[in-house]
Amino acid sequence: MTQKELHAQRLLNEAREASARLHTRRHFLKDCAFGFGSLALGSLLQSCGLGGSGAPAANLFDPAHPLLPKLPQFAAKAKSVIYLHMAGAPSQLELFDYKPELMKLDGQDCPPSLLEGKRFAFIRGVPKMLGPQARFAQYGQSGVWISDNLPHLSGIVDEISFLKAVTTDQFNHAPAQLLMHTGGPRLGRPSMGSWVTYGLGTENQNLPGFVVLTSGGKFPDAGKSVWGSGFLPSVYQGVQCRSEGDPVLFINDPKGMDRDLRKASINAINKVNEEEYQEYNDPEILSRISQYEMAYRMQMSVPKVMDITKEPQYIHDMYGTKPGEAHFANNVLLARKLVEKGVRFVQLFDWGWDSHGTDQSLSIDVGLINKCRQTDKAVTALILDLKQRGLLEDTLVVWGGEFGRTPMMENREGKQNPFKGRDHHTEAFTIWMAGGGIRKGTSYGETDNIGYSSISGKVTAFDIQATILNQLGFDHEKFTYQFQGRPFRLTDVHGKVIQEIIA
Amino acid sequence: MLLSVSEFIGRFHPVLVHLPIGILLLALLLQQLSRKEKYAVSSPVLKLIWLLGIGAALVSCITGFLLSNNGSYDGTIVSLHMWGGIAVTAVSLLVASRIFSGRLDALYKASSVLLLVLIIITGHLGGTLTHGEGYLSGATEAEKAPAPVVMPAGNIQEAQVYNDMVRPLLQARCYDCHGDKKQKGKLRLDSPEAILKGGKKGEVLVKGKAEESELIKRLLLPKDNDDHMPPKQKPQLTKDQIALLHWWVQQGAPFSKKVKDLEQPEKVKSVLAALQQPATPGAETDAPETPVEAADPKAIEALKNRGVVVLPIAQNSNYLSVNFISAGKVNDKDLSLLLPLKKQLIVLKLSDAPVTDAGVSLLSGMAGLRKLYLDHTQVTDKGITSLQKLERLQYLNLVGTSVSFNGLKQLRGLKELKTIYLYQTGIKGNEWTALQKIFPGVLIDTGGYHVPTLVTDTTVVKPKK
Repeated sequence: MTQKELHAQRLLNEAREASARLHTRRHFLKDCAFGFGSLALGSLLQSCGLGGSGAPAANLFDPAHPLLPKLPQFAAKAKSVIYLHMAGAPSQLELFDYKPELMKLDGQDCPPSLLEGKRFAFIRGVPKMLGPQARFAQYGQSGVWISDNLPHLSGIVDEISFLKAVTTDQFNHAPAQLLMHTGGPRLGRPSMGSWVTYGLGTENQNLPGFVVLTSGGKFPDAGKSVWGSGFLPSVYQGVQCRSEGDPVLFINDPKGMDRDLRKASINAINKVNEEEYQEYNDPEILSRISQYEMAYRMQMSVPKVMDITKEPQYIHDMYGTKPGEAHFANNVLLARKLVEKGVRFVQLFDWGWDSHGTDQSLSIDVGLINKCRQTDKAVTALILDLKQRGLLEDTLVVWGGEFGRTPMMENREGKQNPFKGRDHHTEAFTIWMAGGGIRKGTSYGETDNIGYSSISGKVTAFDIQATILNQLGFDHEKFTYQFQGRPFRLTDVHGKVIQEIIA
Repeated sequence: MLLSVSEFIGRFHPVLVHLPIGILLLALLLQQLSRKEKYAVSSPVLKLIWLLGIGAALVSCITGFLLSNNGSYDGTIVSLHMWGGIAVTAVSLLVASRIFSGRLDALYKASSVLLLVLIIITGHLGGTLTHGEGYLSGATEAEKAPAPVVMPAGNIQEAQVYNDMVRPLLQARCYDCHGDKKQKGKLRLDSPEAILKGGKKGEVLVKGKAEESELIKRLLLPKDNDDHMPPKQKPQLTKDQIALLHWWVQQGAPFSKKVKDLEQPEKVKSVLAALQQPATPGAETDAPETPVEAADPKAIEALKNRGVVVLPIAQNSNYLSVNFISAGKVNDKDLSLLLPLKKQLIVLKLSDAPVTDAGVSLLSGMAGLRKLYLDHTQVTDKGITSLQKLERLQYLNLVGTSVSFNGLKQLRGLKELKTIYLYQTGIKGNEWTALQKIFPGVLIDTGGYHVPTLVTDTTVVKPKK
């Protein structure tokens, strides 16, 4: 042993002794008290349901390959989800929830029992009741009632499970949309699509895992947060593609920049990033590198997938597309193409369903009918097209709004609106699901005689989220992300899988 | 480990719980006695006794709470007992605080009396939990937690109405008093003969008339009525269970018929539907029940290097799903990389891949395959021949291929097939019926769905003037 090594050894021994000396009797007692105390406290908290079960599950985030496909907790029924959100909240009373009793009350004053202790977004004083403004008939073997506003969908009801007693506790658009998609009415939580891409990654490495398409001329009221990644790594946020012009801005190389030059420049940028990573060890840098590589691959794959003009004419006829416009039908066709290419979660928002009666386009007697005409054919085509391609079995299609509409006619600030309309309503509305291991041709949940409140089979946004995760192979109670010292779930502390609609 | 600690601590509750009862009663007693000179205890001693009592009560509350989480006790009594215990602790604190501050006023007196009453009630509830209900009044048989009603699994329509549905209900809710041990009202319900015979007041069944049958009438009486069955302190039948019994009697109370043999009104349908347990997961992608050894990691790596996605179908499963979706330039030879995975591979997605018959012929040995996507590939009838031995195959997607009737009929031996997708294939319009005959019970989707363009799809509604 050299002199230097001896010296080092001596220093080490001294340090050990010093540290041992610090362990006095008092320390021992204190440690033990803490040890035992915290042990008991831990089990106490656990029995209150506060503590997690054992060690918190490690987050699934691999910064170098954030979107690599990952396996579900159990064998999944669905591989992909297409979520069609009718932003503004369509009226269940003119589409799915047939209430002949309500017709008898049409034009009468709303009974006080329906108003006592309730708050509405716009209704003030005593509104009049408004009977169903559509004709209904029963369809399919399941005998589901559908209104004449949806002549196409009525032909495929035997593929669908209707949830007729969905409830929410938010009566304004933005919080209700956030609740529906992020599991909380306030900003900051990750959206369902983010959770799913975080949990499952995506099988096609040339395309994003979570794509968002909007139509109807306006964003959903909750803004981009409704497809945001919240506290999940930002790579899981929804990639919004435009349905007009270039699907993603600047996706094409500028003039004079060929593929090789692009590749060389990306390689150079990534090399710098790698050096940066060596120095700082920040995992976000690895994400950044993989994002650059993905962007390069997307330049090739995205324009191809997002181009619906190459689809045959009969497909265009089937969906009723309007190439060149920002139209819902185009987005629906795109959604099918994306799912076919292995995209995990496609989220569509179509704005314009907020039928208050304040103007022509936002009314039950005009605007709603036109919205139905714009969308009914495309939605029906989507189900049938997925089916004939053998994809409906593992693609879960969800259709719904953020809340329902009142059986009363809206009287904004106590005055009559120029058109027939209904106010926001939290106590009963309809959402439907199809494919992805969902039971065919069923209806679950009931509302009262006038469609005011749910009387059986009541479900919430959390139950719907739990069911979607279940179909994708996740137990919503065990699918968590460790953040701010505790595990977070999409369904927070709520949610129950709706077994009644699972095949 | 943590759980066992809490369980362990919880189990001291039945012992520790006697301390606060004794100490607090003693404290109350001494407090009263201290008013007489002869029995007076010094104030510090009395305070100490109070503190000990409160401490013991607190410890009992905590241990009791832990025990209630782990023990299997009747829910309502446990919750009453728990709140009783908490109330005892709280009121004893109140009494003690009055004493300590020297204010022996009306509140102090009232709370002392309350404390005494609470200790007695809570103690009694605790006794009921350990010794069973009616222990004091001399009943020997402890009441058990409500027996669960076990309903049949599988197809509800095939279930025996009496044996599988009615009998388990009666057994769980009625046999205790109307069985071999007791025959209250001289009624037994534990055999068809006994049910038909009735009890002291005569027959309990009027076949086909549920409302007139004593058996059903009693169930429907308001809970407070003395004649209501089961007696209100016993576990009750649910609404659905009553509806089920009602239906059975209405249908003539048959003892040997199946559900499907009886008429099913709407209301009963929903009850039956609720009973129908969701089918055990058994669709295509679910893991086979027999476990399999893990695949060779080198074989998986070789595929991954070609850009192929290889994933176990679920956590804790060795069965694999393989997807060629991101594999850019694959050729038929790459399919030979699948061969080492033949035991594990159950889902194979080759959609859109440049694969021909030569590649597909390599799949003939992949006997475990359940789901096979060959849509938009170059496969023809020749390639289909090599799928004949895939006996486990449930899902076959041939959309957008040139496969024809002659190719497909070679697969008639595949008994587990559930769905075949044949949109845009070489099958002609007149061959569909023949095809359905070859594959009875298989869902053959021919596609080509049409959504007509209605006038309303292209016109816009205008407001009425």
